[in-house]
Amino acid sequence: MMQFTETPPQPLHQITPFSIPTMNKNQIHRARPWPGFPTSKGLGSFGDANCMEQLLVHCANAIESNDATLAQQILWVLNNIAPPDGDSNQRLTCAFLRALIVRAAKSGTCKMLAAMANAHCNLSIDIHTFSVIELASFVDLTPWHRFGFTAANAAILEAVEGYSVIHIVDLSLTHCMQIPTLIDAIANRLEGPPLLKLTVAGGATEDIPPMLDLSYEELGSKLVNFARSRNVMLEFRVVASTYADGFSSLIEQLRVQHLVYAESGEALVINCHMMLHYIPEETLSPLPNANSNLYSFEPSSTSSFRTMFLKALRGLDPTVVVLVDEDADLTSNNLVCRLRSAFNYLWIPYDTVDTFLPQGSKQRQWYEADICWKIENVIAHEGLQRVDRLEPKSRWVQRMRNANFRGLSFGEDAVSEVKTMLDEHAAGWGFKKEEDDLVLTWKGHNVVFATAWVPA
Amino acid sequence: MNLKQHHGQRLSSCAKGMQTSSLHDKTGTLPRQLVRNPQVNDPDAEVIALSPKTLLATNRFVCEICNKGFQRDQNLQLHRRGHNLPWKLRQRSSKEVKKRVYVCPEPSCVHHDPSRALGDLTGIKKHFCRKHGEKKWKCDKCSKKYAVQSDWKAHSKICGTREYKCDCGTLFSRRDSFITHRAFCDALAEESARAQTHPQPQNQNQAVANPSSESDPKVQAVDSSAPPAPAPTPAPAPASAPVQVSASAPAPAAPTLPQSTSVISSSVLPIRSSELPENPTPIVEEAPVPAPAPAGLNGSCSTSTSSGSNGGSRSSVFASLFASSTASTSLQPPQPPAFTDLIRAMGRPDRPADLAPSTSTEPISLCLSTNHGSSIFGTAGQERRQYAPPPQPAMSATALLQKAAQMGAAATNASLLRGFGIVSSSSSSEQQDSLQWGQRQVEPENASVPAGLGLGLPCDGSSGLKELMMGTPVFGPKQTTLDFLGLGMAAGGSPNGGLSALITSIGGGLDVAAAAAASFGGGDFTGKDIGRSS
Repeated sequence: MMQFTETPPQPLHQITPFSIPTMNKNQIHRARPWPGFPTSKGLGSFGDANCMEQLLVHCANAIESNDATLAQQILWVLNNIAPPDGDSNQRLTCAFLRALIVRAAKSGTCKMLAAMANAHCNLSIDIHTFSVIELASFVDLTPWHRFGFTAANAAILEAVEGYSVIHIVDLSLTHCMQIPTLIDAIANRLEGPPLLKLTVAGGATEDIPPMLDLSYEELGSKLVNFARSRNVMLEFRVVASTYADGFSSLIEQLRVQHLVYAESGEALVINCHMMLHYIPEETLSPLPNANSNLYSFEPSSTSSFRTMFLKALRGLDPTVVVLVDEDADLTSNNLVCRLRSAFNYLWIPYDTVDTFLPQGSKQRQWYEADICWKIENVIAHEGLQRVDRLEPKSRWVQRMRNANFRGLSFGEDAVSEVKTMLDEHAAGWGFKKEEDDLVLTWKGHNVVFATAWVPA
Repeated sequence: MNLKQHHGQRLSSCAKGMQTSSLHDKTGTLPRQLVRNPQVNDPDAEVIALSPKTLLATNRFVCEICNKGFQRDQNLQLHRRGHNLPWKLRQRSSKEVKKRVYVCPEPSCVHHDPSRALGDLTGIKKHFCRKHGEKKWKCDKCSKKYAVQSDWKAHSKICGTREYKCDCGTLFSRRDSFITHRAFCDALAEESARAQTHPQPQNQNQAVANPSSESDPKVQAVDSSAPPAPAPTPAPAPASAPVQVSASAPAPAAPTLPQSTSVISSSVLPIRSSELPENPTPIVEEAPVPAPAPAGLNGSCSTSTSSGSNGGSRSSVFASLFASSTASTSLQPPQPPAFTDLIRAMGRPDRPADLAPSTSTEPISLCLSTNHGSSIFGTAGQERRQYAPPPQPAMSATALLQKAAQMGAAATNASLLRGFGIVSSSSSSEQQDSLQWGQRQVEPENASVPAGLGLGLPCDGSSGLKELMMGTPVFGPKQTTLDFLGLGMAAGGSPNGGLSALITSIGGGLDVAAAAAASFGGGDFTGKDIGRSS
């Protein structure tokens, strides 16, 4: 990268657009992502999100090239145009700014920032630890999670029709918040309530928001209690397992159990709600070490924990797999690509928040802190620390097909349930059917996808 | 286009796929486009496509004399008579009575297609508002929003009378929300715990009684009042088989299944015994059923009570699988209310007294609260909105940078910008020593106004500095000032030209003023300028 202090004056032809080397590597700047977004034709204001994105990109480039001076100057400008209590674009930018400062401080190349960060720990985000009741009402505020819950419950209900024993493996970021409505729906089915087994991965997301102040054992006893009140026998089980190795211990447990119950006609439901994108994928290479690889696959350049997890899942021959996740690509190893991609996705949670939480409310702070955490994870961290590795729907579809799964179309029930659910929320939310899948949209932009799969 | 008498324009093109914008009439007359479509139920019906604006206009027909607006043209015509203006009422000939259907202006809507057009104007208006409009009518009680005022009014009348209420006092307008809350609310656990603490001898035999056989009349009444929850209660007590029977019966006869079901009940039961160790009857189920237990239940009871210790009869795989679950479910922490209830129950083993109606602990699982306006509702509403005044915001980036400034600068140089090593003008040589990035030691005479502008350097006046910090332009418009960073905002400037110029000027330690001035010129500076200034 350029060392600006030693660079002689540039001839004109180099002072042209994209004359900075790193800019050439970056993606071509895309058009504004959403309608009504102010464009920068002519002299836009600095409050323009387009401009903020450019500033962030410049700043990221400066940090990556160890140009502390330029980085600080841009940080200074960004700081002035993006107050933490500003409008949604400003708060979004502020979160990215904070993440960039963390990155700069971590890299240690920008001494001042490093010193500052060492002296003041205020860069840390105050992540709220939810009580279970708080989390229930928190998740309920927006379709972000409810969309997946609703679609998945409908798909599961349809898939397990006729089964009297249903084993649900809940791999969910939201700590079983989907389960009560599922229990309720199953309890009310015509053929009578089945026997439910619920397995969750313990400790899988304890370091990822939203955080819960309750152990899964306690959570489970509440669910058992609730299920009993709905006339459903529920058995709850926690299997200590982590996304970092593709839930290998959970898979192993399920495999053993599968030997016992496969012939007994037990339905096996794998419910993956915004969890699988934490499993390391190909851009996180190489695999940490061969010992931790409990799968019987040879680590190769094309194999990843994510691939292996899906293959192992297929090996369990599940009745149905529901995969719900956020529809964005945050896997690039190029910081600027990732920044752009994250910026052009994470404006949505900031944009939506005004419709369901008043400014200054405590819940809003929790909500935005969780987004902040995500932004920091994507921007400031690398390697194993960078766990938020979203992939777009198309790539997940390809992965599932490669793992020998076949897409299952969401039925009319699911569609109407989702529609009813969305009617309870702000007008900007919508959904669309893409082939077999459902996609939650905000102002026409993809937010979360829901897909259902059966062994091919 | 031929103008029809009713302020409209008739188009012969198909409405399908038409953009909403195309529906706006530039001439200012009321846009109404009529399209004939053979797919409509009534092939003779006129398909009318109105723009959103026209659709939502309340009084579209305005009198040119008094500006009074009317919803219908006919009314306007009648009104015009009063002004002695020429008026014309539409003649109701049989030919004129043509059915009209209206399409939704939203192109993505199914009702945008003429084949799905709606039959009346009010209907399409409400549809458009509901489905594509802003929900600006908000219920004060439950925060539910409506786009159509009449919907909101209708809701307001019944709001609070049809809501889900948890025993903890929290109200819900949506069933899903209530279900999720209910599952995790302590109220449910307390109630179950309370139900367990009735050491009635006759209840012992109903250890695994089907929960649905709860015969508490209150509970049943409440359950039956819940709209979407058909009580799955099978049969009266004698026939109410324990759950495991119903669970295992339909299953394909795998030899392990009966065992597994008994294990499940055991996984439930240890919760009781561990949670309430003093409970003399640890296997009492929550059902306070006064009816004597039938023999069938006795049998199931013995199965389940023994299942806690019959691990040896399971296969080893099975045991290892569920050992953890048994342990985990028994980890439920002792809950003070449960103990309170227990103590109370043990002190007064009079069950009817214990079941005395209490609003807070009423075992309502799916309650349609009807006592609207009671004090419970008032407090519940407050509890539900847990919004607190904003705590202090997280440390702003400004504060961060200021800290940096303080650390980087000497004690005398408290200026933020100086701390960043950006400020160098008018600083003495001693001050420059404190700079972290002191490459750019601008000569004092270079600390001219443009230089201060470009890099935000006017450190000789604290007010100027403050203004810059606030993002207020010190000299000239903000964009001009800030565009020195060259973010592609300058009119006619190349996106990165300004930035490059800045970089270059910094790198060369050249006269910042020159570069700044060049950049102000709209990016039309040349390499020569820069070379000269260096």
